[in-house]
Amino acid sequence: MNPHNQDPFLSNSVSETVDATLRLIANLPAPEGLSDRVQAGLRVQQRRGRVLAWPSALTPASTWMRSAAAAAIVVVVVGGGWGVYSRVQPLQPARVIATPPHAATPGDFSNAGAMRKPQTLVGPVAPQAAAVVSPHTKASGKATTLPARDKKSAAVTGTADQH
Amino acid sequence: MGTSQAIYAGWMEIPNSAVSERAYTQAEEAVLAELVSQYSGVLYRVAFSVLRNPSDAEDAVQEAFLRVLRHRDTLGEVRDHRVWLIRIVWNIVLDRKRRAKTRPETDDVSELARVLPTGGLSAEEIAAAAQHHAHVLACVEQLPVKERQVLQLSAFEELSSVEIATVLGITESSVRSRLFRARNLMAGLLDHARSLR
Repeated sequence: MNPHNQDPFLSNSVSETVDATLRLIANLPAPEGLSDRVQAGLRVQQRRGRVLAWPSALTPASTWMRSAAAAAIVVVVVGGGWGVYSRVQPLQPARVIATPPHAATPGDFSNAGAMRKPQTLVGPVAPQAAAVVSPHTKASGKATTLPARDKKSAAVTGTADQH
Repeated sequence: MGTSQAIYAGWMEIPNSAVSERAYTQAEEAVLAELVSQYSGVLYRVAFSVLRNPSDAEDAVQEAFLRVLRHRDTLGEVRDHRVWLIRIVWNIVLDRKRRAKTRPETDDVSELARVLPTGGLSAEEIAAAAQHHAHVLACVEQLPVKERQVLQLSAFEELSSVEIATVLGITESSVRSRLFRARNLMAGLLDHARSLR
């Protein structure tokens, strides 16, 4: 055990016991031929490394190889950009939908400048009401006809005005 | 021959770069071979002190030198090759031990009796010694990781507390305090074990 690592405060017996065991393990001799085996392993590894290594002309250290790699990168980038550019169509100008001029028909809604206007439905047509006879006119013996507005409401409600 | 000179062999010219590269590689291989012959023993012992298995320890040494081979460009920057190599193998064995946690421990009594030196002892004495050492090592295994690492490395006479601190990446005062704690804990563990007997 290292002399400057000794601790004077501990009991000698415990310290010696531990130190003796650890020192015994630490001082076990290395097996025979260890360095030869390690050397052989390193040689094998070096040979394998050489077989797998790039040829010296293709190593990154060679200048022409660097230039070729740079040129290849430029070609790939420019080619890719051109490929994208040639496939993308330029924007077409917006097509204007020509609408036919609205021919205003009499009695129709105005379009108020709108592009489209819903079609105006033809309203229901009430049948011509028969002549309604009021009681006092009945008494007087004169039959009167209702005004046009009353006729219409009577047609809708099914009753005649009491006036 | 200077490496800057070109070599002419008849009509064939060998470029300067190839010559210098080859010479450099050969020099590196020579340095590596020297490191292997000089330090493989101590690296094996460091690995064995943690793994307690001869073949695992040898594998760890091999792996350490393979790492050195991969990073041989940095060999010139290393000040103390011995401590540097011990640090590499230490990290390898800790990593292996962490990964092999599920595997049964190899530091049983019979394995220890097989590797310990006999020194003219009888079979019974060897068995008793192996049992004792196995018991102490089992107590060491119970220590917290930080304390255990310092205690294990302090068993190597080649390593000073400064070098232990370098291997573990801590300060020297931390090494001392951890060693103090480790020994206190070991005393407690061994006393407890004795009282149980």
